[in-house]
Amino acid sequence: MCKWCMKHGIGQKWYMNAKNYSNQLADEHNLQEYLTEQWMNFEAVYIRKIAGLSSKGLGYKLQMPVIGKVLRWAVERMIHGTIRHPNPIRADGHIGQVIPMEDAQIILSELAAEPIVETYCMCRKMQRGVNYQCCINFGVLSEVLEKLPRFIPKERAHRISREEAMERIEQHNKNGLVSTVWYQPYPYINAICNCESPECGALRLRNDFDLMIMSKAEYIIDLDQDKCQGCKECVAMCQWNAIRYIPSIKRVIIDYNKCFGCGVCRHACKHDALKLIPRKEFHGFNGHF
Amino acid sequence: MGKTKIKIDYSKCGPDGNVDPRDCAKCLNVCDPCVFLRHEDLKYKEKNIYDPQHWKITAIWPSVCTRCYKCVETCPENAISIKW
Repeated sequence: MCKWCMKHGIGQKWYMNAKNYSNQLADEHNLQEYLTEQWMNFEAVYIRKIAGLSSKGLGYKLQMPVIGKVLRWAVERMIHGTIRHPNPIRADGHIGQVIPMEDAQIILSELAAEPIVETYCMCRKMQRGVNYQCCINFGVLSEVLEKLPRFIPKERAHRISREEAMERIEQHNKNGLVSTVWYQPYPYINAICNCESPECGALRLRNDFDLMIMSKAEYIIDLDQDKCQGCKECVAMCQWNAIRYIPSIKRVIIDYNKCFGCGVCRHACKHDALKLIPRKEFHGFNGHF
Repeated sequence: MGKTKIKIDYSKCGPDGNVDPRDCAKCLNVCDPCVFLRHEDLKYKEKNIYDPQHWKITAIWPSVCTRCYKCVETCPENAISIKW
């Protein structure tokens, strides 16, 4: 169990708490207004100056001797901020976690607030210049996004039912995309993204700059070494470079330090050798998020 | 490695140039580590808030640039230059 679950969950995983999805919570925090303001300027969040510093060249800024440390502290504080009145032009309280497909389907079938929409991914849009329909948003955020034409696909329906959403998640996972669930802002959960590196803004910050915007899943992969036939199918599926094929032993090995526990590699395995186990049962990596 | 400096000539690309980044976006597509960001231009005050019309491209993560020069070769307006 991660520190967010201790702090924000109720004795279980933070994203399994139905209260965090409720419209009542959104109204309480006046999130309709907040999210409209934030998503109208979404692409500008990166480039806008916050306390005199924009994200431009963030990698170099973080390497600077003293300023880098202060900046890292300030960014972490912003991301993990749990303030009552967050600022819409900053990413206040915007934290996420990788979840396996099964958890995403539980969220979509039971917890997520209606309406559910599938919109264009804004990270791919602003960093890759492509429109790819894979972001599943729900609750208040759906209503906000429907007003913004650049995120709404024209050729396909964007409002989807719970069953369709579960199917879409399965498809995205089989395509090798990693499902992530997001507070936006704390304590309201309103999106399941299907991310890929390097387009994803959160993965950029986590993988390249080591900022804790997105944490690893509550699970970790477990390889049954006897069942692995060495077909190498799973190697291409892993976005974290955690799986490698070793010719001398004719099977794959897993770098558990790199494994985020997304479980995407399972969809490639035809021999049932890969399965997810709870991270807390894997003693070496319990608490490594 | 020293710092990579990626410069974009906004007189050629963006709202003041003759190419709209929303139509072109070739540099975004060709860049493997995703160095570029396409965002709305903040200097335009009177804007359509729901559907902004003025967009520009910034090289936002120069620290992950691999100096492959594909963006320089691809840019139809020759607006990108890289220095280190």
